[in-house]
Amino acid sequence: MEFSRNWLARYVELPDEVDELAAKLTAAGLAVEGLERRDGDVLMEVDVTTNRPDCMNHLGLAREVAVLFDRPLRPPAAELEESDEATADIVEIELSTPDCPEYVARVVRGIRVGPSPEWLRQQLEAIGQRSINNVVDITNFVLWETGQPIHAFDLDTLAGPKIEVRHARAGESLTTLDGERRELSTGVLVIADAERVVALAGIMGGSETEVSEATRDVLIESAHFDRTAVRLGARQLGMHTDASHRFERGGDPAACRTAADRVAELLAELAGGTVTGGALENPHPEYFGTFEGTVDLERLNAFAGVDYPRQRVEYYYRGLGFDPQPTGETGLRLTVPSWRYYDFWQRRESGEVWEADLFEEAMRMFGYDMIPAALPAIGPPDAGSSFAHRKRERIREALASCGYSEAINFAFGRRDADGLFPGLDPVGEPVEIANPLSEHYEVMRRSLLPNLLESARFNLRRGASTVRLFEIGNLFPGGEADEIEAVAVIAGGSSPTAWDRQEPVDLFEVKGVLESLFERFDGRLEVRPAEPSGFVVGSGCELLAEGAVVGYLGQIEEPESPFAVFAAELNAAALAEAEHPEPVRAPSRFPAISADITLTHAVDVPWSDLQKAIGEAGVEHLASFGLRARYAGEGVPAGAVNTTIYFLYNAADRSLTQEEVNESQALLTRELERRYGWQG
Amino acid sequence: MSPLTELAELSRQFEAEAAEVADPAAWEELRIRWLGRKQGIVRARLAAFKEVPPEERRDYGQAVNRLKEQVESGLADLESRLTTAAVPVVEAVDVTLPGRRPMIGSIHPVSRVAADVVEIFDGLGYSVAEGPEIETDYYNFEALNFPPDHPARDTQDTFFLRDERLLRTHTSPVQIRTMKERRPPIRILCLGKTFRHDNDLRHSPMFHQVEGLAVAEGITFGHLKGTLYAFLKRLFGPETEVRLRPSFFPFTEPSAEVDVTCTFCHGDGCQTCSQTGWMEILGAGMVDPRVLEGCGIDPDRYSGFAFGMGLDRVAMNRYGIPNIRVLFDNDERLLRQVKR
Repeated sequence: MEFSRNWLARYVELPDEVDELAAKLTAAGLAVEGLERRDGDVLMEVDVTTNRPDCMNHLGLAREVAVLFDRPLRPPAAELEESDEATADIVEIELSTPDCPEYVARVVRGIRVGPSPEWLRQQLEAIGQRSINNVVDITNFVLWETGQPIHAFDLDTLAGPKIEVRHARAGESLTTLDGERRELSTGVLVIADAERVVALAGIMGGSETEVSEATRDVLIESAHFDRTAVRLGARQLGMHTDASHRFERGGDPAACRTAADRVAELLAELAGGTVTGGALENPHPEYFGTFEGTVDLERLNAFAGVDYPRQRVEYYYRGLGFDPQPTGETGLRLTVPSWRYYDFWQRRESGEVWEADLFEEAMRMFGYDMIPAALPAIGPPDAGSSFAHRKRERIREALASCGYSEAINFAFGRRDADGLFPGLDPVGEPVEIANPLSEHYEVMRRSLLPNLLESARFNLRRGASTVRLFEIGNLFPGGEADEIEAVAVIAGGSSPTAWDRQEPVDLFEVKGVLESLFERFDGRLEVRPAEPSGFVVGSGCELLAEGAVVGYLGQIEEPESPFAVFAAELNAAALAEAEHPEPVRAPSRFPAISADITLTHAVDVPWSDLQKAIGEAGVEHLASFGLRARYAGEGVPAGAVNTTIYFLYNAADRSLTQEEVNESQALLTRELERRYGWQG
Repeated sequence: MSPLTELAELSRQFEAEAAEVADPAAWEELRIRWLGRKQGIVRARLAAFKEVPPEERRDYGQAVNRLKEQVESGLADLESRLTTAAVPVVEAVDVTLPGRRPMIGSIHPVSRVAADVVEIFDGLGYSVAEGPEIETDYYNFEALNFPPDHPARDTQDTFFLRDERLLRTHTSPVQIRTMKERRPPIRILCLGKTFRHDNDLRHSPMFHQVEGLAVAEGITFGHLKGTLYAFLKRLFGPETEVRLRPSFFPFTEPSAEVDVTCTFCHGDGCQTCSQTGWMEILGAGMVDPRVLEGCGIDPDRYSGFAFGMGLDRVAMNRYGIPNIRVLFDNDERLLRQVKR
């Protein structure tokens, strides 16, 4: 929000250096974010937080300055000459809703609408407001002076003349000052005359009753409207104005009268008007109630961790309008001023304000700089567990060490892409975003893969010869089901140079990465052939851990890619971790003996069957075995394949003899040949 | 020949023999001849000690030891010379050819920063708490003292789901969930994805936050300040200055915006910091008593502080990433440069 230094100086003597002013305001919670010197003035950009509507005007900001610099505040006091004609005889005011707890009306007759004097034009233009005519400029000036929104009606155009504050009725409409014709839904808070709606309360006036060059008599409205009522109305109509901005944040009910008087004074002075006798007021103080609270100085000091001088604490509260009254040894009874009601609004029911809310006022005036920094006594570590986080870190480290880079994608995506891959159990209807930014972000993801595939494409389009990405993130299975943390990988290609001796990524590389990931978590990955959607037929499989399906793996159909692309997704919960690492087995101190068997068998005999058969043969001292090579081609019958398996024998307590190993190998060869050997 | 003269002669003799050694076999022969356990020359001289007249024994002992050291170090030198020279030159290797590097992956910049933050607070005894990304109005707003239809909600543009739930706009709901589940003392970090209805060069509809919460008896604003000093100086470097200024958040009272000296200009003023020398990095404050009470924690007995920081901006800052959207392009050419 923009403030003019010269305007501020109307109400308080300012320090010579504007930088000093800016620094103190910033330290007190009114952050000055920009200073622009121009035409003998300084435009100050101040970040006024939503709880401080009282500082969204020059007088309010001047009050803070006065307290911070120990200087008196000089609020403008309206000096009015009133005519004998009673305002009450001219216009009738009726409040038909509790949403208008205060309505002040004044009438000024015989004005001449014309250009504003130079000082007024300059003052408004300094904060970026366009000068329109003296009447509009005066209402605008008072808004930026006091924070109180003002509306001026052309009195002659008001039927009655009468003003009623009520909610809109079915079928009513209004053409607002901006020329828009607006159909009003019932419930919007409006100002009406005897016949029709003439203004949107707290938002904008209507064009039919607006002040024009022909206007002679004006009715000044200075009212307080319920902030929720204004907010709902502005929302329904899609409007946001200087007035609605303030009313939504809450104003100062006591300012209604002073601002009305101020406008009347200026209209008399600058537009040659005559102010009629008396203001019409309808105060409803019960709407606001009172807000009081007690600050105990010892508790304040303990809360802040500092020793504040009592006199200075009292000075600040007094200056800010909290009227401190001593109570007990160390207490101060405070009364919240009317311009700060809305900062304490949540205590309206009880009227008793929390001490922390009041502490803040003293603490911000002293500034946070004087509070010494200290660490709380450490004590034992927090009772919570960081397990889920640590686990995620270990997955990251594991996959990064396998050559994969971590991707982070949005948790939402396109509806049509979301169903491309199976997702993880349970899979329900996608969770839809009611107000998506675009069709790219309309449903919460049920699989990490669609967005991760997009990341792979991003790299492919930039000429990547290999892609290796992983992602850890939550899936949203739909309905009331809990979010599922998933891990996904996508990979393909290789270094293009022969020197690097890299093989292109294939299914078994990705599988091996997943196996080593499981191994890090003391788990074992198993697979089962399957046809998950989105994968090349015949390439896919389900991932199993402890017999349960936890994910899937396969080759993706990706026409954009010059190389085969493989992907997998699995439930992170499958990566369970024991509390303590498994103990290691001491390696044998005696030499091992290795031996191979080459078996010719039908291509459709799965390796897992051979593994099982070897296990079932139960040979002694077999430390490990594994696949050495697969070969099909010359010398191998069609439909068959040669599988060479290595075996490693080792005993813990002695050196094995070659004879023992030969015996075991003979047994294994017999068993494998008998069960799976090629029959021709 | 006196025993001492004999030793001097042996010394010369060893040097002469050593000069003749050209291969490992000859070296082994030399070693056995001089240092052999049974018939080695040095051992024999040592054994001869008792035959030396008593008045010469002192000098003799020293001379024998000198000989022993000379032989040992001579043999060691010879050995290293022989083994180096023994490698046969097969072909001339161009050692400047590129090495074959294993493919190394990388951890996302945001995850790196998050891990650093967790590590710092781990040392202060904090644990990491978790919560869902889809939240209810209650946990995201109401329990955090955002009344319904309050303008404070405007600052948190929200993605709503069709069933009245929403995407959390901050990680603060995790604080509420933790305070409802557990009793003080509590010291937690909450970190994860957060969402706001905003999309431009400076804002991404999804971003990452880390928040901290400490609730115990006797927690003061000074503790908040001390904790943030410790944290931010570890994260940004010991020369970093930290500034707290009053602000407003519905869930803390009083509240503070926290600035650190601009990491680009170190406080001199530059474009990044709008010439102020400061960068707004974090929001913090004392937990509002209403929030504590709503979680069943007695605000008269306990107090607490909370703070929250965007991880994405810190990551951009640390790695010099100009635009938040680049963080989520997942361009491997960029990701693989991130090493720590």
